[in-house]
Amino acid sequence: MLQASLEFLKREFFKYYYENISRLVPPEPIRSREFGFFLEKGRGMFRHKCFNSLKDFHEFILNAIPLDIYVSAANYEDPGNRDMSEKKLVNAELFFDIDAESVAAVSEEESAWICQKCGQYGIGLIDRCSSCNSPTELVRLVSEKQLKEALRETEKLIHVLTEDFGIAPENIHVFYSGNRGYHVHVNQEDFLNITGEGRREIVDYLLIQGLDEKELLNFLKKGANIEGVSFKGVKRRVYMRILEKAGSMEKLKASGRETVLKTLVNAVEELKVRIDPVVTIDMHRLMRMPESINSSSGMVKRRIRLEDLPSFKPLEEAIAFGDEEACLKVKIVPRFSLGGKTFGPFKDEEVELPAYAAVYIVCKGLGEYAGR
Amino acid sequence: MMGENVLRAARYPFLPEAREFISRNIDLSLESLEKTGSEAALKRAVERVKNSLIFKEVKVTALDELNYVREMLSFPIAIILVSMIMNEYVRRMYALGESRGAYRRMLNESVETLLYIGEKMGVGGVLEDENTIRVKIPTYLRLAYSFHAPHWKLVNRAVNNGYVTMGKTEYARLIQVEVNNYVYEKTLEPVPPGAVPDIFRKAADEIVELWNRLETGKASRIPLKEREDTPPCIGRIIRRMENGENASHFERLVVATFMIARNRNIEEIIEFFSKQPDYKYSVTKYQVEHLAGIRGGGKKYSVPSCRTILTNGLCYPDEYCKGVKHPLRYGEKNVAGEPRIS
Ligand code: SF4
Ligand SMILES: [Zn+2]
Repeated sequence: MLQASLEFLKREFFKYYYENISRLVPPEPIRSREFGFFLEKGRGMFRHKCFNSLKDFHEFILNAIPLDIYVSAANYEDPGNRDMSEKKLVNAELFFDIDAESVAAVSEEESAWICQKCGQYGIGLIDRCSSCNSPTELVRLVSEKQLKEALRETEKLIHVLTEDFGIAPENIHVFYSGNRGYHVHVNQEDFLNITGEGRREIVDYLLIQGLDEKELLNFLKKGANIEGVSFKGVKRRVYMRILEKAGSMEKLKASGRETVLKTLVNAVEELKVRIDPVVTIDMHRLMRMPESINSSSGMVKRRIRLEDLPSFKPLEEAIAFGDEEACLKVKIVPRFSLGGKTFGPFKDEEVELPAYAAVYIVCKGLGEYAGR
Repeated sequence: MMGENVLRAARYPFLPEAREFISRNIDLSLESLEKTGSEAALKRAVERVKNSLIFKEVKVTALDELNYVREMLSFPIAIILVSMIMNEYVRRMYALGESRGAYRRMLNESVETLLYIGEKMGVGGVLEDENTIRVKIPTYLRLAYSFHAPHWKLVNRAVNNGYVTMGKTEYARLIQVEVNNYVYEKTLEPVPPGAVPDIFRKAADEIVELWNRLETGKASRIPLKEREDTPPCIGRIIRRMENGENASHFERLVVATFMIARNRNIEEIIEFFSKQPDYKYSVTKYQVEHLAGIRGGGKKYSVPSCRTILTNGLCYPDEYCKGVKHPLRYGEKNVAGEPRIS
């Protein structure tokens, strides 16, 4: 990234933070959280930082204009200590990450390839250069469709959290991550103290891992009436789905063991919630700060009210910048949608774009700033 | 506290009411203990610890219960003795003995009494119907995670609206874990050396002597050494297997999952198992790959927790195990690595 581009970003980021600083409210209590920042491109994280008050935190941000801002899911006795065990973990919010890319595939149109060897590039997912056949570097822009799928997973997650885990809706905080997925923070008192091992169990529950198949097969063999059994939770959901898929208990009983197992696998595939297991188990994780800018896209990690979830439009509602035009030099940009408009594809040209789209391209490393 | 309740407190001396009874009726300062003729209680305390070392279970007879003052008093004294001995093995065995004894007694209790004990021990349960008890998910996860059988996994439980349902026996198992935790933590509290009367020291010596005679204690009597990366429980199994001793299914599981967790390669692990009398390359390979998650749905098996290893009679802790809950945490160095962000 050229210096001019970086300065362009910093200017735009400053405008955003200057206007919206009051929206940046870290989870309480602020004193027990660790903060981390990326201050310059390509440099390591500035972390183990802590603040005594919201005011200090806001001052720091307006001074430094970080590229990315993170806050710990955990509360620590000594959050500023550089030694992880000396930090003394008290408890941690439950944190879930749903990544659009692991939920649905990217499309050809929203991807580009670049050959580092001979400099060729083009639109599409091509892993070998068309002129010199060396491996290419791929650029994937997240699509609306992918984000829709991820949103559906998020709704599934919230359903399980409220129905099975009894978590009160007001303790569930949902965010668009600003780039490729969704984050869900749960800060219900009695769930904060669940250890890493316990979180592992929650993960297995959501991903439906370790399900006792023998019990299930026995149950199906007996042909018991599901209403008469005290199954609850995910097991019940799996059983019901298997019956739905088979049509009826009679049909299911008539089919062989192989078919039943296949139906089971399919039911599990449909019902599991595709969270990233590593994130949830790790209590020391730093989460992107709500309402802060995600420097890999220039969009905001936006809070979504539960009732707005079904209709949420990430690529419109997470825009951080205005639409005054900026000029960019681009090599290759696949088609992309942002702020309700569709742009591109662009190849070897200078383009005028509204600031939010220009920031997006620069953040993705697909173009350089060339003045207003 | 009258009749039934006194007996209950004697049967479960870790309940707060036993503590209250003692502090209301007996002067528990260490100096006065010597004078107030609590010798009987001290004797019983020694028995509690010995029971734990020999039978892995503290036995309480009907007669013991009738002697309720002695019985209640013997519990805090036993804890003092164990913490005086300052040995991790004795600590863990004593906690196990108390909790196992309590579990066995709880199985004969009415569901009301069980719920009462659970409530007092921080394992609150709600009666759903005659045979079903509901426990909050966080409570359940805190206590049940270390059980290895698949039916304890959350994914296989009836989970609804924040609760996990279970039968009486399973509920008693959860309480047992909490009793174990409670007793263990108590024995970690140091006893000020000056405050201990001579008869206590003698009683402690008596326990040490017994434990020296028990074969099982040997591994941990080795004085403090350099801490190694392999915890003593696993080191012991490995040494025995290297000598060609036939290891149990569970021992093999522990060793294999541990080696996998420490990133030893599969062939190396199979090679290690080749000294087993019933070794077959293909079978071992299949099993190890299964545990490593290379086969069978990709689920990688975790190393059993200290609690599970302990209940299988394989925990031989040294002083570096103090407070350790999982063998992989043994010898862990805590440096801040790369930040993990999302
Ligand atoms: S690591 Fe755990 S199980 Fe192993 S010896 Fe130490 S305390 Fe016992
Ligand atoms: Zn090329």
